[in-house]
Amino acid sequence: MSVSTGASRTSVVRAGSVALCLVVCLGAPATQRRAEPAGPTHGGQIVVAERTPPSTFNPVLAADAQTHAVLDRLFADLVHINRQTLKTEPALASSWSVSTDGLEYTINLRPDLKFSDGHPCTADDVVFSFDVYLDESVHAPQRDLLLVGGKPIDVRKKDDKTIVVKMPEPYAVGERIFDTIAILPKHVLGEAFAKRALPRTWGVDAPPESIVGTGPFRLRENVPGQRIVLERNPYYWKRDRDGGTLPYLDRLVFVTVPSSDAEFLRFKAGEIDIVSQLTGDQLASLSSGSGYQTADAGPSLQYNFLFFNLNDVNAATLPALATRQRWFREEKFRHAVSAAIDRAAMVSIVYRGQGEPLWGPVTRGNATWYNRALPRPARSLERARALLKEAGFSWRDDGALKDQDGKPVEFSVLVQATSVPRKQMATIIENDLAQLGIGVTIVPLDSRAVVDRVQRTRDYDACILGLGGGDADPNVDMPVWLSSGDHHFWNPSAAKPATPWEAEIDSLMRQQISARTFADRKTLFDRVQALIAEHEPMIFLASPDILAAARAGLANFKPAILPHYTLWNVEELYWRQAPDR
Amino acid sequence: MRVLLERAIRAAVLLFGVSLLSFLLLEAAPGDFFDELRLNRQISPATIAALRAEYGLDAPLMTRYARWVTAALHGHFGYSLQYRVPVERLLWHRAGNTLLLTGVALALAWLLALGVGLATAVTNRRWPDRLAGGFAAALLALPDVLITLVLLSIAAHSGWLPAGGMSSLARAPGLTAAAVDLARHMTVPVIILVISIAPGLLQHVRHALAEAVPFPLALALTARGLPRRRVIVRHALRLAAAPLAALGGLSLGTLLSASLLVEALVGWPGLGALLLEAVSSRDEYVIVGATIVSTLFLVCGNAIGDAVLYVTDPRARTAQ
Amino acid sequence: MIRARRAILIVVVAVHAIVLAAPWLVPYDPAAQQRLLAFAPPSRVHAIDAQGRWHLRPFVCAIEPSTAIPFRYTEDCSRRYFVRWLVRRTTAAGFTTRESLRLFSVDEPGEMFLFGTDEFGRDVFSRVLVGARISLVMSISAVCLSLALGVVLGSLAGYMGGTVDAIVSGATELVLALPWLYLLLAARAAMPLSLTPTEAFVIIMALLGAIGWARPARLVRAVVASARANDYVTAARTAGASTPHVLRRHLLPQLPVVLVPLALQLVPQFILGETTLSLFGLGVPEPAPSWGTLLASAQRPQVLVEAWWLLAPVVGLVGICVMYYTLARTLRSGPLVSRL
Repeated sequence: MSVSTGASRTSVVRAGSVALCLVVCLGAPATQRRAEPAGPTHGGQIVVAERTPPSTFNPVLAADAQTHAVLDRLFADLVHINRQTLKTEPALASSWSVSTDGLEYTINLRPDLKFSDGHPCTADDVVFSFDVYLDESVHAPQRDLLLVGGKPIDVRKKDDKTIVVKMPEPYAVGERIFDTIAILPKHVLGEAFAKRALPRTWGVDAPPESIVGTGPFRLRENVPGQRIVLERNPYYWKRDRDGGTLPYLDRLVFVTVPSSDAEFLRFKAGEIDIVSQLTGDQLASLSSGSGYQTADAGPSLQYNFLFFNLNDVNAATLPALATRQRWFREEKFRHAVSAAIDRAAMVSIVYRGQGEPLWGPVTRGNATWYNRALPRPARSLERARALLKEAGFSWRDDGALKDQDGKPVEFSVLVQATSVPRKQMATIIENDLAQLGIGVTIVPLDSRAVVDRVQRTRDYDACILGLGGGDADPNVDMPVWLSSGDHHFWNPSAAKPATPWEAEIDSLMRQQISARTFADRKTLFDRVQALIAEHEPMIFLASPDILAAARAGLANFKPAILPHYTLWNVEELYWRQAPDR
Repeated sequence: MRVLLERAIRAAVLLFGVSLLSFLLLEAAPGDFFDELRLNRQISPATIAALRAEYGLDAPLMTRYARWVTAALHGHFGYSLQYRVPVERLLWHRAGNTLLLTGVALALAWLLALGVGLATAVTNRRWPDRLAGGFAAALLALPDVLITLVLLSIAAHSGWLPAGGMSSLARAPGLTAAAVDLARHMTVPVIILVISIAPGLLQHVRHALAEAVPFPLALALTARGLPRRRVIVRHALRLAAAPLAALGGLSLGTLLSASLLVEALVGWPGLGALLLEAVSSRDEYVIVGATIVSTLFLVCGNAIGDAVLYVTDPRARTAQ
Repeated sequence: MIRARRAILIVVVAVHAIVLAAPWLVPYDPAAQQRLLAFAPPSRVHAIDAQGRWHLRPFVCAIEPSTAIPFRYTEDCSRRYFVRWLVRRTTAAGFTTRESLRLFSVDEPGEMFLFGTDEFGRDVFSRVLVGARISLVMSISAVCLSLALGVVLGSLAGYMGGTVDAIVSGATELVLALPWLYLLLAARAAMPLSLTPTEAFVIIMALLGAIGWARPARLVRAVVASARANDYVTAARTAGASTPHVLRRHLLPQLPVVLVPLALQLVPQFILGETTLSLFGLGVPEPAPSWGTLLASAQRPQVLVEAWWLLAPVVGLVGICVMYYTLARTLRSGPLVSRL
C-alpha cells in the first residue's frame, strides 16, 4: 500500500479550457502542515458522504453497504476481521478457544463491557443477539451466514462472561462467521423480540437515543434525507496502544450526497473530509492539488468477468440461442475470446491504470488465496485465431467469422446500464472481437433486468458482471462455484453438474469447507482456480484498486480493501490539526 | 360550482387511472426491490423469497392493487420497502422541500421571462430582442447536468456558497440564521432551475407578445395614441394570456420532473431525489406515492392556470 | 432583410447537408479505437513551421504520448504531416489492414484529431459529426411526431369541447403524470434483447414522440379554445362555415404562437433526452455515436478540466439551437408564415 500526499503536477492548460479551469482548478484548499504533536489528540469531527441514507438502524435487517457503513460504527461484533491484515482479532470477545474436533468454540467476553447507554453487556445479550439473527420470522439477511451445512449454529451461555458456540459440523471458516454479527441490547429489544415486533423496531424514524450498541459511536441526530450525526460512545471498550480511551473523534457525520461527482466536488470544497471510493481519473486530478492525502490500497477483491449462457435452454422456445450455444459450449471458442481481450487496455482505460488485469477470481489484493501458478497469457490475436481454426471456424472474404455451417458468428453482451466501468469493458471487448471477425452487440440494461435474464428467464447470449467485497475467504463464493448455487452464473441452480469439471469443482469446494488446516484448504482452492482457468466458464477481465482520499491533517488514515474501506478504523482516526472550514 | 364539481370528479378519475397504470407499469418492468439482493452471494434465495412474501410482493398484481386502494382510501399509501416506514411519512416531508425549491425557482423564472419579454417588446428595438432570444435559444441547448456541474464547481472552488445539501452542520441558533443558511443552500439549485426553465418560458412569452401586438385591438389602441408600453402591458399581455396561462399551469404541474436530476445532483432532500432513488431501487409504493403527489401538483397547476385565464381573459368566462 | 433570410437559409441547408453526409466526410471511422492515443487533445493545425516559414498547405505535427504521465502528449514538429483532400488511409483490422478513402486527412502515419480523442482513442470530431446525423434526425422526427399528435388532439379538444375535451385532457394529464422513467423500463423489457442502431433509433423516436405530445396538446388546446371564442369565429360559424374551414382558416393559423417556441425547446430536449434513455438501455448502443451518449460520458467534473474537448457536442447543440432560432425568427417576418 502506498500513501502519497499531494504530489504536485503541472497540468497543461489549453487556451480553450482556461475559462473552465479558472473555475475548477483554482482554490484547492491549502492546509499548512505543522510539526506533528507528540501523541494522538482527542476531539473534532469528520464528515463523510453516503449515496443514500441508511435504510434502517436495526443491524439485524441491514442488507446494503450504505446502511452497514453507518451501523458498523454503532455496533460491535464478538470477533472482528481486521480489514487491513484480513485476519481475525478479538473484539467484544477477549479470547476464544476451539475444541479438538473443531466443533465447539468457547468465547470469553471482555470484563466491564457496557452498552452506549451505560447498561452492562453480558453473555445474555450475546445469546439474545444470536437468537434474533437465527429467528426465521425476522428474515435477517445475515442469517444464512450462521448456517453451517444448512443447520444453525447453537449458542449457549456458560456464565455471565462466557459463551459456548457449537457448530453442527466442522467449519473451516471458523471464528470468521462472527464478523459483523452485531451484539444487541436485550434490555432494549427483548420485549419487541418477544412480541415479534423486532422487524419494525429501530426503523429510520426511531428516536436517536433509543439506538443502543457497543460500537465506537452512538446516534446523536438524524435529519432525514440530509445527514446522520454520530457522537463518541463514552462507554466504548477499545483502548489505544497507550491505554487511552477511544475513539479520538467527538463526532462522525454522514451526509447524503446522491452522486459521486457531487461528493468529489464537495470534498474539494472542504465540506467532506474523506472520499472512500475514488475513480482513477478523480485520483489523477487530486494529485495535482495540495491539502489532501491520497491512498491506493491496492487491488480490491472485486472481480469483473464475461460469461456465456451455458444453460440447458429449450431449443424449441429459443432456437436462435440454442444454435449460438454450440459456439459458447466449445471451450476453444471461449479460450479464443479470452485470448483476444486486451486486459491491459481495460486497466489503463477503465481504471486509468489504477487496477490490475485478471485471469482468475482471486485478485492479487487477496494474498492469502491468490494462486500464483495460474497461467496469465498476454493478449494474442494469433493464438485466438489458431484456436478458432482448430474448433472448425473459418473466415469469410470480408473478414467476418463463420462457423461450420457458414453462419456468421455474432452475439450480444448484456451489461448493467448504470455501471460505467463495465460498459467501457464491453466497448473494449466489442472492438477486440471485431478484430477476430466476431460481431458483438452491446446491450446495456437496467441492473435488475440483467439479473432477471441471467437467473430467471435465461434468455441472453453473454453478460458482464462483477462480484466482490464481503470477505477474503473463498467461502463467500460457494454459491458461485457450486453448480447448484444461484450465483453459478453461466448455469445457475443446476440440478446436477453439467460437466465433469463442474462436478470436480463441486467436490473440491465441499472438501475445503470442512478441511481442518489452511494448507489443505489452499491446495483445494488452488485446484478450483486452476480448473476454472482451464475451462473458462467465466472470462476474467480486470479489478480496480481501492482509491481513497482524505484531508491532509487526518492521521491513521489507512484505507483497506474490505468494506468499509476508510472507516474500518474510525476509532483510531484523529486530527493532527483541525482542517480549515 | 358545477365546474368545480366536474373538476373534482375528473381529478378523482385521473388519480385512479394514474395509480392503476403505475401498478401495471411496475408489474411490466422486470425485477423487484429484492432482486438487488440476488447479486449478494451471502443471501440465499429462500431468504429473498421469505422477504418478498413478508412484504406481499408475491401476491398477484390485482390483489396488491386492491389492497393498496383500500389502504389509500384510509390515507395509508403502503410501506417503503427500502426504509420500512409508511410512504406518506416519507413523502410529505420531501414534497415540502421540493415545493420550496421549485416554487421559488418557478416564480423567479416567470418574473425573468415576463420581465425580459415585456421589456424587449416595449423598447421595440431589434437588437435587445434578438440578443435575448438568441441567448435564450443557446441556453435551451445546455444540458441541466452540465449547468449543475459548472455551478457546483464554481460554488465549491470559490467558497462563496455551499456546494450542495440543504443545511449546514454548524450554524448559529435562531430563526434568522436558519433562514439565511437555507437561502444560501438554495441559491445554487435555484439558479440552475431558473437557467433551465426561464429560456423556454421566454421563448413562449416573446412569441405570444409578438403575435398579440399586431392584433387589431392593439393596433387600434396604438393608433389612438396610447403609449406603446401601456398597450403592451395592459392589453397585449391579456391577449397573449391563453397560451401563457396554460403554460403557467403546466410548469406548476411538471415541477417535479424539472427538479428531478438537479435535486439528486445537488443533494437537495426533495421528492425528486427520493423518486430517482426509489426508481433505481424499485421501491414500489414510494414510486406510486410520489406519482400520486405529482398528479396532485398537476391537477392544482392546471386549475390555477385556468383560474388565471378566467381572471385575465373575459372571453374565457363566456366560453364556458 | 431578404439577404439575411437568404444567408440563414443557405446556412441551414449547408449544415443539414453536411450532417446528413457525415459518414462520407469524416476523417476517421467513428468506432475505430487507437487506445495508445486516448485523451489526445485537439490537434493543432499549423501554417508556420519551426523555422518561421509559411506553408500554403496546413500541416499537423506528430504527437508522442508522454512517458511520465498517462494521457499527456507532446508535439514533435520535426515530423510534419500535411492536410490533403481525398487521402487513402490504412487502418489495422485484426490481421489485415483495411484501406479507405477519406475526404480529407493528413499524410500517413500522421494523425489529425480536430476535436481530440476520447478514452478509447476514438476521433471526437468524427463521432460528433456522425452522431449529429443520428441525433438530429431522431430529434426532429420525434418533434414532428409529438407536435403532430399534439396539434390533432389539442385542437380537437379545444374546438369540440365537452366530452371530447374531457377525454383528451384526461389523457394528457395521465401522460404528464405517469412515472415515465418506469414506462421506459417496461418498454425496454417488452423489446427484443439486441437492438441494431436503426431499431434503437426508431424506438427512441417513437418513445420521445409518444411521451412528448402532452405538452403541445395542452398548449394547443388552450390557444384553440381561446381563439374559438373570438367573434369572427362565431361569425364564421354562424355564417355556416364548415368545421374544417373554420379550423383551417381561423384557428390553425394561431398555432405557430405556441408551436415555434415549443419546437425550439423540444429539439435540444429530445437530443439530451437520449442521455436519460441510455440509462435504461434504450439509447443508441455503443460503439455507434449519438450526441446523447457522447454527452452522457462527458458530463463529469474532471472532463471540464482535463478533457474539455469531449464537450464538443454541447457547442454543436448550442450552434444548432441558435441556428433554428434565427431561422424561425427570420421566417416569421417573412412571407412563409404570413401566408399561413
